Amino acid sequence: MSDVTLHPRSQEWPASPSSIVTAAMIWHAVLVVLSILVAISIFQMDRFPNKNDDLGNAVQGFVGLVALLPAVIAVWSSILMLRRHSLGRMLALALNYVMFVLGIFYLLHLWGLFVGFDDIANALHENRTWLIGFAFAYLAFRLAGRIPEKSPWRNPIEMIAVGLSMLTLIVLLWTGDAVKGLEHIFKTYSEPRTIFTTLAICISAFIAYSLLKLGRYFGETPEQRIAWQGWLMLSPNILGFAIFFAGPLLLSFYISFTKSVPGHTPDFVGLSNYRNILSIEFKIQSDLRDVNTSVVLRDPNGEELASNDDTEGNPALSRIEEFTLPATGLYAVHAQAGETGRTTGPYSLAIAQVSAGAGEVAPPEKLPLEYGKTVTGELKSQAGADWQFYGTTGDVVTITMRGKVYPSSVLDSGYNELDHFTVGSKRLVIGARETLFWQSLRNTLLFCLLLVPLSIIPALALAILLNSKIPGMHFFRAVYFLPSVAAVVGTAMIWRQLYDSRGFINFGLAEITQFINSILGTSIADPEIRWLTNPSLILFSVVLLATWQAIGFNTVLFLAGLQGVPRELYEAAYVDGANRWKQFLNVTLPLLAPTTFFVIVTTIITGLQVFAEPYALLSETDPIPIEGTTSVYYLYRKSFKSFEFGYGSSVAWIIFAMIFAITLIQFRFTRAKAYED
Amino acid sequence: MFKRLFVVVLLAALILPVLPTSAQDEITLRWRTRPDNQAEIDVYQAASDEIDAAWDGVTLQYEPGGSETAGYQDTLITEITAGTAPDVFWIPGTDVARFAKLGLILNLADLAAADADFDVNAFYPQQIEQLTYSPDGSTVLWGIPRDASAFVIFYNKDLFDAAGLDYPGMGASWTWDDFRADAEAITALGEETKGFGMNAWWANWGYFVNAAGSSFFNEDRTACGLGNEATVEALTFAQALYTDGLAVPWGEDSEPGFVAGNVGMFVNGRWGTPNLIANATFNWDAAELPAGPAGQSNWLFWGAYVVNANTEHPQEAWELVKKLTSADIQGKVAALGANIPSRAYSDQAAIDAFLATFDGKVNNQAWLNGLNYGVAEAPLWAGDWSEIDRVYGEEINKVLKGEETPQEFADTICDKVSGYFEAAQ
Repeated sequence: MSDVTLHPRSQEWPASPSSIVTAAMIWHAVLVVLSILVAISIFQMDRFPNKNDDLGNAVQGFVGLVALLPAVIAVWSSILMLRRHSLGRMLALALNYVMFVLGIFYLLHLWGLFVGFDDIANALHENRTWLIGFAFAYLAFRLAGRIPEKSPWRNPIEMIAVGLSMLTLIVLLWTGDAVKGLEHIFKTYSEPRTIFTTLAICISAFIAYSLLKLGRYFGETPEQRIAWQGWLMLSPNILGFAIFFAGPLLLSFYISFTKSVPGHTPDFVGLSNYRNILSIEFKIQSDLRDVNTSVVLRDPNGEELASNDDTEGNPALSRIEEFTLPATGLYAVHAQAGETGRTTGPYSLAIAQVSAGAGEVAPPEKLPLEYGKTVTGELKSQAGADWQFYGTTGDVVTITMRGKVYPSSVLDSGYNELDHFTVGSKRLVIGARETLFWQSLRNTLLFCLLLVPLSIIPALALAILLNSKIPGMHFFRAVYFLPSVAAVVGTAMIWRQLYDSRGFINFGLAEITQFINSILGTSIADPEIRWLTNPSLILFSVVLLATWQAIGFNTVLFLAGLQGVPRELYEAAYVDGANRWKQFLNVTLPLLAPTTFFVIVTTIITGLQVFAEPYALLSETDPIPIEGTTSVYYLYRKSFKSFEFGYGSSVAWIIFAMIFAITLIQFRFTRAKAYED
Repeated sequence: MFKRLFVVVLLAALILPVLPTSAQDEITLRWRTRPDNQAEIDVYQAASDEIDAAWDGVTLQYEPGGSETAGYQDTLITEITAGTAPDVFWIPGTDVARFAKLGLILNLADLAAADADFDVNAFYPQQIEQLTYSPDGSTVLWGIPRDASAFVIFYNKDLFDAAGLDYPGMGASWTWDDFRADAEAITALGEETKGFGMNAWWANWGYFVNAAGSSFFNEDRTACGLGNEATVEALTFAQALYTDGLAVPWGEDSEPGFVAGNVGMFVNGRWGTPNLIANATFNWDAAELPAGPAGQSNWLFWGAYVVNANTEHPQEAWELVKKLTSADIQGKVAALGANIPSRAYSDQAAIDAFLATFDGKVNNQAWLNGLNYGVAEAPLWAGDWSEIDRVYGEEINKVLKGEETPQEFADTICDKVSGYFEAAQ
């Protein structure tokens, strides 16, 4: 059992226990009254305007009940203390301790200290010369620490250090005009709340301190004493977590149920934000029908040669029949279909050679429209589409255009088309209220899907390489880790230069192409890749940057895992005849499973939260292209560009739920397996 | 024991110097503006100190705003939400409507009316028109313009000489056709050379739209104004610059290419000049933008000093706004080369200070000319500009990358943004 000794002084207190308990109960009565008043004001507030909304009432009720919590604890602890029950003392201790700490924070706020944090830097900057005094004092302390305790020099040096730091403090206060600071604090006491807060802090501190001394009165056991000491030690962490992490989290959760704009009290809107973001619907369009069409034939100079506007008699078809081409060259066919409000739909365009003219058709390049071929497509708007074919003088051609449309929209009001898939004559239309959210979600998931293998497999290979005992390996480990610690904005700027259409990557590719052509005699064209502007490459470019950054970190994790694999296992495998590959498969991989699991989980979480990479890499386009918009970027835009903080918070919680769910699934299925192996 | 004492002393030394700043008898005003570089920060700080020294009873705190991890506007809006925003701050012209509608900035009309020293006619009328607009017709003044800027064509004289071209031109005589011919000739100089470049945000493609006679919005700015033939004409011209390979691909930063001497012409505002002065090693100058089918066009970019609606010292805040937009301060900022004074009609000294920048080596007059006929970047009172800008941007990306025709754009764009105008909500 514990060998903790109770300090005899801890049981001494000038006031009698009963008077301290009485004082605590009186103070608790005040807290009860205050707590009830706060709760009543919350219940009567107009900040939850949607009174008919059940959820609105529920949230208001919950906040009101939380405000009553101190009253409940105060009453409960008072009753128990009257019975000299140890739990009563513990509850009262906790209540007064929390009141004391929160009171201190509030008092510092009333003194105006928090808004002055920027001034700390300024004050330090202005008086930086005098900080040398602290540096010397610190050095003196370090020196004293190195001198044996019994040495006669130790105490004088420590005294010099204290004197120096005191002197520096006085100089700093003098140069910083601290008297005015104290005067300011004094002035804040013209407000009753400052006086009351200070009083509350003192009383709570007195009660808490006094109750601490009454262990024997309440029959405290050594275990209980150790327990509260433990909680006391933990309390800064718990309070810090509650104030700086859990508090803001809960606030953002509440904000997500509101319409919140800067400078205004959030209006409670229930689940409206979530409904808007997540609303999605699937509709099938099958009532495809014919539509008016027109087809125009133009010669190589762009002059109109013939046209057929679909008019009466044949509403589904436009046809230029048996037209004789006047020259050899590229001809253009403009196909148009649609009607107001119905701008999309499939069409087909066919060209038939009725009889040949001057000679064989020998187009200079492969063209999509040829004699005897039907092309199909989907018209995005009534503007139509242009096709080219190659014809020779005297060719007689017939061009036929047929267009169909779907109804303008099958989606409910407020929904926009997210995507559609055509199967035969039917079309599945996916609609959403917030199409950009779903597009950003798709991009984010795709980003993760690419990032995980690209940043983990090479990292494992690299870790195995760096695990060897080659001279200078420490240097390489640092080099590979560097991208992970470099600032994203800085590295993104460099990558933007690399990705430029005339940047180093394209320059390298052009040189390689030229080299291959010169060696093989081929005529492969310079790819001229548009890394940051080609819609199908934008996300991949972002993934490459993120991969480059993540590999270093993942490598370090794998390295740590590899160094935990016992050498004996490799030796045993070697003795059993296993080659390097088999050792890797049967020793390294299984023993690395927990590390691999951790790396995968953290990489996925990082991937789902990606923001800085697309933001910095694609910021040349404002706003950044849809193809590079990730969920967190969407959240940022909604909050800081559209000023919809409630909406942004909802997106944040949806992303949180998604990350939580994915991680949970991984824990359920992967971790168990990892440890089994 | 000594170590504990040492820690306490150190903490006290860190915290106590904080207090005096908020302990003064004088009124403390915090103000903020977005600077482009450290030199501007230094000038604003010096201006703040100078005003502070001459102003009894008021202490000024200048804050550059923003940091490496948070942009100027993101920081500002966070502080407004938290109730810790400065008394006076700068916002871009496009944000005036949102801030005013949300009640975040003070209507200064009464303070201005009671002030004999203040004259709105000293500023560009396009700016004042926007700052005195109120949807309900009431008398308002939302702020005072900090400065102004316009687009120019920066051109590489060496590339023009190599291509045997005359330098771009003199006002209305330089048309889109001339501009394209110049771009073609410069592109033909070599594989690495492009005739033209501009960056991918609304003002750049918006210039083409305006110069062709179209506009982002209808006349009373309550609906989209891009569904017309002028838009098709503008975008057909702009698209061809890209699809014909005459321009740096849309979406890529054109500035490094221009600074490296590989781009013949580059559209940018006054803010781009210091970088060129510092880094371009070739001969260059600036010219007005080419005239489009509907004549000359440009943007008048601007931002304004506004007063926080929650300031405890509105009168002093108004005085500060006036002092910050005085000809003296504007002249000092303009002398750095990145800003143009907004007091165009009150004090020639500020304008002269601007014209004298860079020792007259740059055609500074091109900006002043552009400002005279520039369309003010204007707040949108009847809709959500942030969302409309997003949709316009997404669609224009398709057009200038050749994925969509200008006609398709004009046919569909107004439907796509209609939901973001108040009339539709």
